[in-house]
Amino acid sequence: MAVETELDKIILHVAKIMIDELKLEDVTAETFDPDIDLVDEVGIDSMDLATVALVLRDEYKVRIDEDDYPKLTTIRLISEYLQRKLAVV
Amino acid sequence: MEAKHATGPMSRQGSDSQGWKFSDLIADPQIRERWDRVRKYFYLRESTYDMTRRCNIRCEGCYYYEGEKQHTPEIADPDRWRALMLAEKARGITFVVLAGAEPSLVPELLSVCHEQMPLGAIATNGLEWIPRQVGYKIHISVWGNDATSQKFRGAREMLPRQIENYRNDPRAVFVYTFTAGNIDEAEEVTRVLAVAGCKITFNVFSAPVGYDGKLRHTPQSLARTRGTMLALLQQYPQTVLFSHYNAMAHTHPLGLHDLFGCAYPRRNPSADPGLGRSFRQYRTDLTWDREAACCVPDTDCPDCRHYASGSAVVTSRLFRHACRPDVFESWLDYVDTYLAVWVSGYEKGNNLCQRLVPPPGHDLL
Repeated sequence: MAVETELDKIILHVAKIMIDELKLEDVTAETFDPDIDLVDEVGIDSMDLATVALVLRDEYKVRIDEDDYPKLTTIRLISEYLQRKLAVV
Repeated sequence: MEAKHATGPMSRQGSDSQGWKFSDLIADPQIRERWDRVRKYFYLRESTYDMTRRCNIRCEGCYYYEGEKQHTPEIADPDRWRALMLAEKARGITFVVLAGAEPSLVPELLSVCHEQMPLGAIATNGLEWIPRQVGYKIHISVWGNDATSQKFRGAREMLPRQIENYRNDPRAVFVYTFTAGNIDEAEEVTRVLAVAGCKITFNVFSAPVGYDGKLRHTPQSLARTRGTMLALLQQYPQTVLFSHYNAMAHTHPLGLHDLFGCAYPRRNPSADPGLGRSFRQYRTDLTWDREAACCVPDTDCPDCRHYASGSAVVTSRLFRHACRPDVFESWLDYVDTYLAVWVSGYEKGNNLCQRLVPPPGHDLL
């Protein structure tokens, strides 16, 4: 049985936020591929990314730079970014 | 205005949010309702298209004829346009802006575009009626009263002819472009449109590259323009589609690029999600050039206060406006105005913020 890492937990939580905020269907936090490109493959646009970034800012109480979030185009990239931010809080 | 938000839970975050959580900003039911209403349109992705090189008038400071685009060959084959629209849809474009030089002169191409892409807007001088089956928003340019229009556009009795064509037409929005010389005529024009039951929004003349004529704004004329915009917004609330934040953003001594960072490819080299990646400005030969791609490609960027530019540049800056209640409300007003002006079927709500709020990171003046 695989050990769930801190990053795994963040990935799951980010996926859940993504699904809730963007009302994505036919996917759960558990089945959401963390490496799928949210823009090119899921169809999320820059305004959606901004919305999710604002919710994540609330949830994790970290500063997210405006120049950063447009580059966070997979759940794994978002989660790794958050993990780095949390490490320096 | 801020007091009603001050009772919600707060937690310190980065300085960019100034202590406000996003969930607090949208906790007020009125704000939440507006947020939910506008975010349904976040899927809009625009590109713009020059439809023809022809025009039935010649205006001083015209973007189209001041620039190089006028020399581009013209493709009038409806099948080529249909194929272009299908290709645009396939790459994710959901909103088209049909312009230059005068799109009403090619109604068959407008119909072809509308059949494939149901959301969009047409920029026209309003002298030719566009058939009703073309269900786009129609932006009718007004540059002053009829005497001024005759002087700078060479056309007689423009406003009566424009109204005759588009009275009681829900597609139509009259776009009054404030120049340095027509500020005092705006009330007269707005009053006439109000009586006719038409809608008006405001644009600010933004000089084409190399233009040094009388229409170019000065800091003084921008300040007077702002005062006039706000007075008309108060005097004709049922007629004027605008907000305090619109007035601030488009009359600030700094242009839109300096205030917000232009998101169009011409000034934005980033290929991150957003306009820098998806926006194209097609010429009449159906080609496009990333180096020149913006909504008004021949504008002098530092002087750009164009309403079409702001409609993308300001609206795309959600993240930086989610910092404080009055700033966020102002941004919502701007987006609400944008949607009412550009999207068929969207009705403007009451403005949430009734005072001037500076853009994030800048002063009011």
